[in-house]
Amino acid sequence: MFTPARYEWILLLRDRWITILFILFFCVTLFAVLNGQEKVIERKTSITKVKEEAQLAELKYANDIDSLSRGLKTAPEPWLDPRSLSVYGQRAGRVVAMDAQPLALISTGQSDLYTHTVKPKLYGEANALGFSELSNPVQLMFGSFDLAFVCIYLLPLLVLAFSYNLLSADKESGVLRLTISQPISLYKWLFGKLVVRFVVLAAIIVTSIVISLLFADAAIGGEVGKLLLLVLAYTFFWFSVAFLVNLFGASSGTNAIALVSVWVVLVLLIPSFISQSANTLYPVPSRINMIHEYRVAEAESNKKASELLDGYLRDHPELASKDSTSKNQYSFWLKYFASVEVIQAAVEPVVSVYDEALEEQQQWVSQWRVLSPAVLLQNSFNELAGTSTAHYQAFRKQVVTFSEAWRSFFIPRMFRNESMKPEALKSLPQHTYTVTDVSTHFITDFIGMLVFVAIALSGSLLVHRRFVDTGLTTA
Amino acid sequence: MITLIAKKELKETFRDGRFRITAIIVFALLIASVFVSKSYYESINAQHEAARNNARNIWEGQGKKNPHSAAHYGTYAFKPKYPMALIDNGVDKYAGVSIYLEAHARNQAQYMAAQDQTALARFGDLTPDFILLFIIPLFIILNGFHAFTRERESGTLKLLQSQGVPGWKLALGKWLGLFVPVILIVLPVYVLAILFLSNLNNYGEFSLAALTGLFVIYLVYYAVFANLTLLVSSLFKKSSLAFVALLALWMVACLATPKLSTNLAQKLYSYPTQLEFEEQIAKAKSSGLNGHEPWSDAAKKLEAETLKQYGVDSISQLPFNWDGFLMQKGEEHEAQIYFEHYDLLKKTNAKQSQVYQYTSVLSPFLPTRFLSMALCRTDYNSHWAFADAAEKYRLLLVGKMNGDMVDNSKTGDWDYLADEKLWESVPGFEYQPPAYAAVIAANQSNFATLMAWLVVSFGLLYIVVSKIKVN
Repeated sequence: MFTPARYEWILLLRDRWITILFILFFCVTLFAVLNGQEKVIERKTSITKVKEEAQLAELKYANDIDSLSRGLKTAPEPWLDPRSLSVYGQRAGRVVAMDAQPLALISTGQSDLYTHTVKPKLYGEANALGFSELSNPVQLMFGSFDLAFVCIYLLPLLVLAFSYNLLSADKESGVLRLTISQPISLYKWLFGKLVVRFVVLAAIIVTSIVISLLFADAAIGGEVGKLLLLVLAYTFFWFSVAFLVNLFGASSGTNAIALVSVWVVLVLLIPSFISQSANTLYPVPSRINMIHEYRVAEAESNKKASELLDGYLRDHPELASKDSTSKNQYSFWLKYFASVEVIQAAVEPVVSVYDEALEEQQQWVSQWRVLSPAVLLQNSFNELAGTSTAHYQAFRKQVVTFSEAWRSFFIPRMFRNESMKPEALKSLPQHTYTVTDVSTHFITDFIGMLVFVAIALSGSLLVHRRFVDTGLTTA
Repeated sequence: MITLIAKKELKETFRDGRFRITAIIVFALLIASVFVSKSYYESINAQHEAARNNARNIWEGQGKKNPHSAAHYGTYAFKPKYPMALIDNGVDKYAGVSIYLEAHARNQAQYMAAQDQTALARFGDLTPDFILLFIIPLFIILNGFHAFTRERESGTLKLLQSQGVPGWKLALGKWLGLFVPVILIVLPVYVLAILFLSNLNNYGEFSLAALTGLFVIYLVYYAVFANLTLLVSSLFKKSSLAFVALLALWMVACLATPKLSTNLAQKLYSYPTQLEFEEQIAKAKSSGLNGHEPWSDAAKKLEAETLKQYGVDSISQLPFNWDGFLMQKGEEHEAQIYFEHYDLLKKTNAKQSQVYQYTSVLSPFLPTRFLSMALCRTDYNSHWAFADAAEKYRLLLVGKMNGDMVDNSKTGDWDYLADEKLWESVPGFEYQPPAYAAVIAANQSNFATLMAWLVVSFGLLYIVVSKIKVN
């Protein structure tokens, strides 16, 4: 095994294709990573900008409250007075931001669908908060040229182009006759060739990814190690498939067709099948039906609320505050909170169905992702990048939690008819984004990948035995 | 001679086990996807119909209310799905399905299907357009990569040339041998689509011409791939190298270029973020007229002008309800702000589309993609047309509400209530998509690019095979 492998090594090194391959893969990787970096920079800049603006507003309100409470300024209209809890809670909302993870640049994932900054306010229902990002749907459809795309789609094709004629080329040129006349097993000889090619490509992959990440100022750490391990296992899987197909002893052309078909099935069809079956088995109920339920609940509570307050007052806060003959300056808003509560309670069962359906879909997909190494890789890429569906679900929950915290800071104080005082500003709730509540599946994904390798290799052993039994004389 | 070659090619193809298996798989996938799409389409349409009726019932049954409160309460517009969406779902998965119509605010379409699916959905759905756009070109390549190289490798190319067969005749024969099986796969789907679409209940406007146009566009797309396949096959000495080259070509055309163009388009002309967009609008609104801020400078100016026009001293002397009038003026002013900001988005989108136009030089996939969505009314332009119609309807609805208040109540009389007569007087939201003539006009350049691909690839093939060398 040693000698043929060494020759393979020498042959490969002298082959100009290797240099071309290296340059090509490096350029594609670098481009993808820089693309990813650009997106992450955009995301960070927009978060910083929104936060800065919110901080400026916060500072301005703090100054106003300070000078108003010291009587240095004349009080504005009540519906503009920042000392009013209802004004402050609504206008000086805090930014809840989903910060980019260190490896966010490797995979766009779901990050182009959702916004990364939300400003929960005192009024408005939490489930009415918009999480969509403003984007051109054509671009969402095509997706982004990121490292995940390069590794999931392009890398296997590269491996196939590099190894579809591992055996058949030698057979077609007649070298195989010479080789099998040597005292070495065909299997070992071919496996040696495969390993040499894998090592060469692995070196190209690792160098390209690491250098590209360094170019993009990404921190090289344990996460990158995980990423590389997965990508290499995925690469090796495709080499083993090529190995298996080569062992059948067909022509280069047939090998090529067989390998591309495997690629189409594993990378294009199975993911679609899993996704489609998830949608069919756990369909998210019609969103337009949800709107209807919501409107009905709203109308019901409005009818009840109309006993308490004139319908239009709700829409006209400026009239409501002029009108405040009652003792509590917030009485109008307190009634509003009451009606929101009624609506929330009524729609809660309807709304929760959506989250449940999505979670069930997620579970289904999670179970069946083992059917395709491409899905395993996509899953881990998104998880490492912090752009998976689970990450955005978790962020959503964090926003809702913060929104509740923000509201529960104000509501009791409004009931007590207090005003916003300078010292209360320090105890306002703050939000920091955490990823700890998202479970990741790196180990299972990696093991799954190895199982795929094992399947391909044991398949190759079986095929080889069959040919040894029947005698591989076709060469 | 040509038919002879074509017959020989076809016979060989049909005898090939590899061809039979792949052809059966592609055909089965295509038919299955049509059925899956059909049931999805029907359920979506039923939901849409129910939602439309519900929304109308709620609007009409809202009871006695101040008209402006009713305008705040608002209603919903739901985006209809058109029959051909069952072939190409286009960007529908990534565009919202409903728009909330209320006073003072133009809302964006909510609830995109992609957000109710997992990240796996980003791999693509098993819909007819996926098979038509990605898999069939690959099928053509698998079928034809060795068209010339095989003859070269086995030495029959020499024989053919010695018999004096002109290169272009040989190529045309082979071209037919490659193209006929594709027609055999696509034609049944076309017939099936006609059967399905013409039997749909309330299918709205299904146009046979549009479906036929779509079919022709896909055939042109396949002709381009057949040309490219034969071209590459005639340039290489070895089948395997021709195959690798064609695979790379497919990858660049169908997978890489759309993504590359997207990144390029975003880099050159990016949309603002949602929050930025909202804040820009809020900023523009803050300095102008707002129906709920009678004390603002803009409102005071309007008040002075109106009083002067009617020759009275105070708003209570005006012959109509000043509050309603002010609110309507505010609405009109804000509608203009929304119009301008959404127009900026549209202009950005137009520039982004230009980028795709340019990169179509690298990929016959792109113009086909855009033409297919446009004909199926699932492209971004169709979404904009719906959003614009919804906005127009919103202004009509709010205008009617404010107008009723202006005419039938007095200034300061916020206790005035209207009833279902007013609600019913607002017509329901009926959306008519743009005529096909407009769709075609908007996609002229895509069509031109696709045709250029056809002509240039034919031309190149002709030139190359005319001078084909045996070795």
